[in-house]
Amino acid sequence: MTEFSSKDAKACPVHFDHHTVDHTKQWPETYRKLREECPRAWTDNYDGFWVATRLSDIVGVAQQSDAFSAHKEVDFENGTSTGGVTIPPAGTTRGIPNEADNPEWEGIRRFINRRFAPRAIEERRAKAKQFTAALVDMVIETGECDFVDDLTSALPALVTMEIFGFPLDEWRKFADPFHTMVFTPIHDPAFAETVRGLDYFRERVDEEIAKRRIEPKDDFLTLLATGEINGEPLTWQQIRDLSFNILAGGVDTTTALASNALIWLGRNPGERQRLIDDPDLMPFACEEFIRFYSPIGALSRTAIKDTEVDGWTIRKGERVLMAYAGGNRDPEAFEDPEQVKIDRFPNKHVGFGAGMHRCLGSFLARMMFQEMIGEVLRRLPDYTIDEDGLRQYPSISGVNGWISIPAHFTPGAKVGAVIE
Amino acid sequence: MKVRIDADLCQGHAMCALACPELFQLSDEDGHAYVEDENVPPEYEAAVERAVRSCPEGAIQTS
Ligand code: HEM
Ligand code: SF4
Repeated sequence: MTEFSSKDAKACPVHFDHHTVDHTKQWPETYRKLREECPRAWTDNYDGFWVATRLSDIVGVAQQSDAFSAHKEVDFENGTSTGGVTIPPAGTTRGIPNEADNPEWEGIRRFINRRFAPRAIEERRAKAKQFTAALVDMVIETGECDFVDDLTSALPALVTMEIFGFPLDEWRKFADPFHTMVFTPIHDPAFAETVRGLDYFRERVDEEIAKRRIEPKDDFLTLLATGEINGEPLTWQQIRDLSFNILAGGVDTTTALASNALIWLGRNPGERQRLIDDPDLMPFACEEFIRFYSPIGALSRTAIKDTEVDGWTIRKGERVLMAYAGGNRDPEAFEDPEQVKIDRFPNKHVGFGAGMHRCLGSFLARMMFQEMIGEVLRRLPDYTIDEDGLRQYPSISGVNGWISIPAHFTPGAKVGAVIE
Repeated sequence: MKVRIDADLCQGHAMCALACPELFQLSDEDGHAYVEDENVPPEYEAAVERAVRSCPEGAIQTS
């Protein structure tokens, strides 16, 4: 007799693959159907996993961090891994604190939280403003630009380099592999190549850490080089995994958010004018774009014991994909969820996650968004998007973003800002 | 059970209010979380424990 595993008895089997071009084209529709017909769906793809699309279920999973693990176990010898927050687990790169459980997680967040708290981020605003002005200076006299290359991928990378204490002129070499990695489909042979591009980043982290140990400065690299977690200095591996998480988590996500917002505002000039006339709407607009576009559309956990979430049983060892992008359009939680309302309030979206792994960089992301969009609305208020030149990421399984957003506007004058 | 929020650690992520909206409130002035009464009614103990596990700042303590 055949022995049935629990997987054979799933009530709602579906075909679901978030790594395909089809998914990129129709994710809002896919998630709407799943939410309505099959909110706790099971798919056999990638060794099998649940897909949760209701906001309340996603929050339920995210909050039970004692039952759902984010820990990634890496086997460096064989180049494989299990667990973590992606389905399937990608290679041997692990991000911490994201792919750590307690007690490890708590030690790491306590160590870095202060650096990303609202007050610390406010102190960074002047620099971000200056960088944004300088980036707009570089294109404003020509009357055209590519919003991604010239602004939305540049600014978050520059600000992140500045926080770390890396030389600013290297930003493109740091940011490009992360940018390419997130939109290259995992089935594409080029994917392995882009992952190798991360080696440059690892080498540079090691080099700068060694320098800070001899000559400390007032930057994040120095904290990593000289700080202690639970009374112990950080290992080289911890430093790499932490730097990776902050760079990967911060650079392309904020890029995607600002990119989507610029496209939407370009297509809705009336709403753009409303935001120009009433800049106090900016924080609400920011949250709404995070909700609507969900830059990080989905992440996963693994059950470490049989667990129940509001009547839904998840067995030990099973994986769950929390479709943040699906939850963010749940009509149970949001009025007219398929509509952008730039003054939406309240707006309890899960675009930054939920539970203890909730985004470390939420305040930084909002600050960078406000500076980028604010500067464009002040200095390029009549921009139009060149629709034919738009290029979306082929795969949005990592980040829901854009490769290229060409735009035109009435040329203007430089203000003389510099990047230094 | 009693619950306390460390005001120095709390950064206003509102994950506590998501876990247990009956007890955790967010201040309109500074966005920090507070509870009106630190004594937790027994029916909310499980939700408060979920809030403890959900706080990204480790700012909630129970005793
Ligand atoms: C709009 C921009 C951003 C979005 C949409 C976003 C989204 C998210 C999400 C959904 C999570 C939860 C992960 C999970 O559930 O496993 C998360 C965690 C994280 N984010 Fe962000 N993020 C953004 C910007 C940033 C920035 C600027 C940084 C830089 C510091 C950052 C660093 C992190 C880190 C380190 C974590 C892991 C936290 C933990 O595990 O405790 N993110 N982010
Ligand atoms: S979840 Fe923690 S940090 Fe966030 S508001 Fe509640 S107590 Fe404060």
